[in-house]
Formats: sequence, C-alpha cells, structure tokens
Amino acid sequence: MVAEVEDEEHARILAKRCVLIKSVLEFFSSGASYEALHLTNRNKEHLWAPFQKNTTWKFSVTGYNQTIPKYRQRDVVEGFSYMALKGPVDLANPEQEFCCFEEYSSKGKEALRPKYDGDGNFICVYFGRLIAKGQARNLIQKYDVKKRAYYGNTSMDAEMSLLMANQTLSANGKLIYDPFVGTGSMLYTVAEFGAYVIGSDIDGRQMRGKGKEPGVLSSAGQYKVASRILSLLTFDVTNNPWRCGGLFDAIITDPPYGVRAGAKRLGRKPGVPSRDSVAAMRDPDTYIPPTHPYELSMLALDLVILSRYLLKDGGRLVFFLPTVNDEYKEVDIPVVEGMELVANSLENFGAWGRRLITMVKKESITREAPDLRPRECSERYLDHYVPAHRDFREKYFAGFNRNPDVP
Amino acid sequence: MRLIAHHILACHAKGCTSNNFPLKFSDVESQNAEAEFSPDFLKGFYPKIEWNVLITTAKEKFIKFGEVSLPEEQPNLEDLDEETLKKIHHVLLEIDVITGKMSCPNCGHIYPIMSGIPNMLLAEHEIA
Ligand SMILES: C[S@@+](CC[C@H](N)C(=O)[O-])C[C@H]1O[C@@H](n2cnc3c(N)ncnc32)[C@H](O)[C@@H]1O
Ligand SMILES: [Zn+2]
Repeated sequence: MVAEVEDEEHARILAKRCVLIKSVLEFFSSGASYEALHLTNRNKEHLWAPFQKNTTWKFSVTGYNQTIPKYRQRDVVEGFSYMALKGPVDLANPEQEFCCFEEYSSKGKEALRPKYDGDGNFICVYFGRLIAKGQARNLIQKYDVKKRAYYGNTSMDAEMSLLMANQTLSANGKLIYDPFVGTGSMLYTVAEFGAYVIGSDIDGRQMRGKGKEPGVLSSAGQYKVASRILSLLTFDVTNNPWRCGGLFDAIITDPPYGVRAGAKRLGRKPGVPSRDSVAAMRDPDTYIPPTHPYELSMLALDLVILSRYLLKDGGRLVFFLPTVNDEYKEVDIPVVEGMELVANSLENFGAWGRRLITMVKKESITREAPDLRPRECSERYLDHYVPAHRDFREKYFAGFNRNPDVP
Repeated sequence: MRLIAHHILACHAKGCTSNNFPLKFSDVESQNAEAEFSPDFLKGFYPKIEWNVLITTAKEKFIKFGEVSLPEEQPNLEDLDEETLKKIHHVLLEIDVITGKMSCPNCGHIYPIMSGIPNMLLAEHEIA
C-alpha cells in the first residue's frame, strides 16, 4: 500500500500500532517490471543519493505470496549498481536497508504449486528505504487465546481483538467499556494500548471461570494489565445501572449471536408463567433471574442507542455486526441520529460474514437514559430514527453488493 | 471493583428513580490496588463527580491507612492541584472492593459483591 504521511515520525507511529503492518518504507519507485522501476528510480536520485557515502547498507528482496530464489535476489540487487552505494555492506546491522517488494496475485487454488513457480511474474514491484519494521505484529503471538490463563469458547481471536482495540483509539487516560465482555478478550488488547477498562456481562460465570480469582483478572495479570481493569460487573445491558451518560471514550464489543452465546435479556416471554421471584430473591447470592431470547436486529439497534448515551462526544463504538447464519442475511447497520459511521469492514466467510463497525458519537447534547424495554419492531421505527433496512440499505449496499441475496 | 464503579452506579430497580445513589456499602472487604495516575483522565471525569458522595466514600472505614481528607468544598476544575488529584485518584482507582454489599437508600435492594464482581442483576419483579 502506498500512502502519504506528513512526517516520518507519523510513519513510525503507524508501524508501532498497526497490527497488519510488516514494514514501513520511504517510497522511491515502482513498476510493472524492473526496467520500468529503474527508469523512474534513476530520476529519484535526490532520494537515495544522500546514502551513497559513509552509510552501511543492505538490500532485501521479498514478495507477497512468493518466495524469491537466492540467485534472482542477487540479480535484482546487481540491477541497482547505478545507485553507486560506496559505504560497506552490513547484513546484520545496516544503517540503511533498501527493499524491493514484489506483489504477486493471490495463489488461490494454485496454493500447492512448486515454491518458485511463477517467479518473476509479479504484478508490480515497489522499491524504497526501510523506516521501521511493524512492531505490533508480535502482539498477535502475545495475545494468542490458547496461551491465555483464562479463555472460553466465545473468546475473540488475538488479531481481531487487536484490530478492534486500534479502532477505539485506545490510549492512556481513556476509559473504555465492553458491555458483553464474556471472557474479556478485548479488554486486554484495549488495556495494552493504555486505556482503563470496564466490562459487564449478564452471565457472571463468563467473567469468573472456575478459579478463585475471576478468570478475566488472571488473564489480565498474565498480560500485566490488571491494574487497568477498573471493574467487572454482572447485569443485563438492557436493564443497566449506569447512573449517568457521557462516561466512556469508547465502547468495544462482540454482541452475542450464534449458538454458543445467544442473546438473552432479563424477563419472560409473554405468556410464560411467572415464579414467585420475591421468594427466590431471599437468597440474592444464588438467585438467577429468568431470561428470554433477544432479537438480533433489536440488540444491534439498542447497542447503538445505548452507546450514544454512554459515550462522550467524539467517543467511538466498535462492534461486530452479527449475521444471521442460516438465512445468510446481513443484519442492517442501525441508523441513529448523532452516531456517524466511520468504518465498515467485512470479514467474509463465504456463505456469511461479519462486519466490524466503527461509529463515532457526534453530538454534545445531554440525553436521558434510553428506554431499552422490549418493544414491537414497528414501534421502534416510528420515532426519531429511520428503519435500517429501508433507505440505508439501498444507499449503503448499492456500492458494493456482496450479498447475492440482495438484489 | 474499584470505587470509581460505585461512583457511576445507581439502583435501577423498577420505579426506583430518585434517592437511588449512592448505594450504601456494608460488610466490605477491600484491598489496595495499583492504578496508573492520569491527571488527564481525572480532569475529564471530574464533571461526573458528585463531590459530597466522594467525600463520604473517602471516609469509609474499609479504606485502609485511615480516611482520605478531601476539601469540603469542591474545587474548580482549573484550581485542582496535584495533591487533590492524587487523593481523588486514590479513592476512585486504588481501592478495590472484593466482597460486600451495596444497598439502595431508596428501595433497599441489595447488590452483593463477590470476588470483586458486583451482581447488579434485578429480580423479575424489579425490572421495568
Ligand atoms: C459473543 S460473547 C462475547 C465474548 C467476549 N468478547 C469474549 O472474549 O469472551 C457475548 C456475551 O454476551 C453475554 N450476553 C448475552 N446477552 C446479554 C445481555 N442482555 N446483557 C449483557 N450480556 C449479555 C453473554 O453472556 C456472552 O458472554
Ligand atoms: Zn432502589
């Protein structure tokens, strides 16, 4: 990817935080062939001439989707002899590293072809000077779920938890909340980048696990971020005890969907006979109130409305938009006044997918706590918000119609 | 549960909409815990602070090493000095409640805290 940044320092910051970055280079030239590349690169002398003298250097030649054989790497490096780098080569610790990066098309079905097959048939080759190697990539290993003190079958994988954490703009001195915290996967990655965190879940067992200390705190301890976990709480987010709004810099969450962690809310389905809950309450330590299913699109909408209340102005909501697996139908992105869409990225599993949605709160008025009581679908489209599936869907999906079910 | 949570929670039982904050502590066991000091965070949070509640909380007997003395009058945000900020930080972020109860001054609902996790779930007859 070629991008413009104001300052080399900004490029270094990106290399520090972006989980997907392998390295950041100062871009010199590119081309569909090395001849084309050299043609432009010879004219970019002002960029590389400063390193001709008194600079130790090395070259690296790598490819995307391709291993490049040693003999061709040598040929490629020789092709740059006109740069006349006089300083000694230093393979271990060079002052400057010049990199060629060849981009090959995805192998797809050909994944099993011999290693060097198709070598040189790249789409494009890029050339530049190394600024920084990506430093956030190794966090994927660090936060590997399988190596975690406590995790469960709902735990979010490390790479995604890190990507989500970056979407929240986590930093020191911020307060970030996960209302469906489960085993806490995103609390750790958000705390890694400096923020204080709070998590809640309707099911205390998810946060506790079986040990003496709550499992989420054990894992946080392993990552040395336990001091940033300010609180874990048990409650139904639709019946929440927050005293006021405007509390959080970001809300990050993976709402319940699917078989393993279906959505629930307190209360009973109409018509289900009620037990004497007053009697049951005599032992509040063990009392588990009844719950009933929580319709998916309602949940997504409630989450956005609640976030608008709980976020500070400018605060972000980062969440996965569940997809209904057996119907292969995407749940619409809720449209709520005061909440603007920042990003919508699809993780495509073929027959279905999930969308990582980032929204930002853009309003400074103080609202009343929203009423998230169960309500009829028709009713919730009557007042101030627009039905997600009406205008929005057309506008939004017209551009990139990935779903074969959508006309 | 760090005490900051107590400061932003209120009883949410059906119909309990006034005098439902602060929840009253009883049978509390707490410990001192670490938290990075962030003046920026505290200043951002400052408008959410109910000063009288903070003072009362700071006098809770379970806070080890004695009470934290905060000025009776709430200082203006601009006048906050580092010493006061550190005290606020200590009360809100460095006291960790492990077990105990929080009860509603209005309706009497008891929210138990076990292994540091308050159970804020409502019973069936308490949800709106
Ligand atoms: C997909 S999981 C989240 C998993 C979490 N990201 C993790 O790393 O383990 C969804 C969670 O939402 C919880 N949940 C379901 N309905 C809820 C509700 N109404 N209020 C709060 N939490 C709820 C479930 O107990 C479950 O732990
Ligand atoms: Zn109450």
